[in-house]
Amino acid sequence: MSLVSMTATVEQAGTERGASKARLARFARPALGLLLPVALALFWEIAVRMGLSNGRLVPPPSVIWNTFVDLAATGELQQHALATIWRVAWGFVFGVLAGTVLGAVAGYSALTYRLLDPTLQGLRAVPSIAWVPLFILWFGIFEASKIILIAVGVFFPVYLGVMGAVLSVDRKIVEVGRVFRLSGLAMVRRILLPAVMPAYVISLRAGLGLGWMFVLAAEFLGASTGLGFLLIDGQQLGKPAQIVAAIVAFAILGKTTDWLIVLVATPFLRWEDVATRR
Amino acid sequence: MLVLDRVGKTYPNGVRALDGVSTEVAPGEILVVIGGSGCGKSTMLRAISGLDTPTQGKVVLDGTVITEPHEEIGIIFQEPRLLPWLRVADNVGFGLEHCPRAERSARVARALDRVGLTEKARVWPRELSGGQAQRVAIARALVPRPQVLLLDEPFSALDAFTRADLQDHLLDLWADLEPTLVIVTHDVEEAIVLADRIMVMRPRPGRVFEEIACDLPRPRDRQSAAFDFVKRRVLAALDRSLDRAIITDDGETKAAAGGGLWW
Repeated sequence: MSLVSMTATVEQAGTERGASKARLARFARPALGLLLPVALALFWEIAVRMGLSNGRLVPPPSVIWNTFVDLAATGELQQHALATIWRVAWGFVFGVLAGTVLGAVAGYSALTYRLLDPTLQGLRAVPSIAWVPLFILWFGIFEASKIILIAVGVFFPVYLGVMGAVLSVDRKIVEVGRVFRLSGLAMVRRILLPAVMPAYVISLRAGLGLGWMFVLAAEFLGASTGLGFLLIDGQQLGKPAQIVAAIVAFAILGKTTDWLIVLVATPFLRWEDVATRR
Repeated sequence: MLVLDRVGKTYPNGVRALDGVSTEVAPGEILVVIGGSGCGKSTMLRAISGLDTPTQGKVVLDGTVITEPHEEIGIIFQEPRLLPWLRVADNVGFGLEHCPRAERSARVARALDRVGLTEKARVWPRELSGGQAQRVAIARALVPRPQVLLLDEPFSALDAFTRADLQDHLLDLWADLEPTLVIVTHDVEEAIVLADRIMVMRPRPGRVFEEIACDLPRPRDRQSAAFDFVKRRVLAALDRSLDRAIITDDGETKAAAGGGLWW
């Protein structure tokens, strides 16, 4: 074998090793995130099985899993999860729409900012539960009041994020648009939108997180479906496994929807010059 | 013809940055503006570009009074100001959205070839070095083929080798279409390498102090006696513009800065 072909073989082997390492890293990274919850679950399962705890108030993972399976078998889990997802989805849509429009206008226009922002900042300080009696009076006890409460929760982080992002767009970058004589609409499309995108995605994620918190507040009050109802039901009937199962369902849904936002946004943010890529 | 007719700029806070600057820049001429800090060089460039409006006088390009950015005037800033969300080729073609796709691609490819960055067409701006990024900025400004190109200290953030390289590169590019160049710099040698005419300005408020013709043959040899002679003239003018000239015992006026290259 010649020296050149030997070098090529070694290089090829090196490249293949690199590729398989990258593949491994791709799967290992999410798996790393599962390490802590799985370890805690295992620890608790073993502790209960060894009789170190009776597991009555904090049921072991096997009992929670059985509860999940039972609830899924009767269709209850799907019904409650879908009801919650439906509420969060609509609340998220309305909250994002209002937050984006008002945030953009307040960021763009100093007059609107002065008119609007003090009031909105005051309203932001109101605890979510404080709105509930008023929304029930105004919109009834059915879906409208719940969706509006969730929309309120989503609105504020999105409003703040968009307003801050528009205010902090680099003047020098805007000048590039001016030099190329972009119209108002082209300036928004080609300069402002891409410039605010990273901050917008973060505000959407924060808004969604609050949406999941507010849905619980909404479902605690007079709901007959939803994961929040499942929680209350578990408390009233003394079924801690059902409570923990509902909490786990919240965690899974919250993480999945957050991941969806990241997944959709990633192609638009590949240009970002960040210190670390997670 | 680019005409500055008694151009002045007073900011809302009362600071008078520029006062009664008048000059004419012929098509294809390279005018280099040099002067101490606060003498209104960048203010003047922004007024020519239409990014700022003068509070006195007017800027006229071929009979058109410039009050806003104009398609025949391009500008390159001190920092490249590339749009980080666009790949290099898309940055270069940013001003060509009105062009058919095929023409745009061809012009972008040619511009990248001229600045020696063809292989960087698909990379993000964050992956470029400072010199490469500034070359992309030059390509972006030149691709719409402006009649006038303004450069605001375009190489000041770069190391000496890259700076010299880009100065030569700029002259090569200029030779293609021969746009009018108005260049602001602090670097006396850079001014002499590039200029047909050097405008020395004085500060507070910014005014034209002296204009020095620079008709050395190109390419210019920085080690030549003629280059050195022009350099001494410019340095002396700069010192006088800042009231820093000294008179020697034999009555000769000398630069107080001891031949410093940067202002």
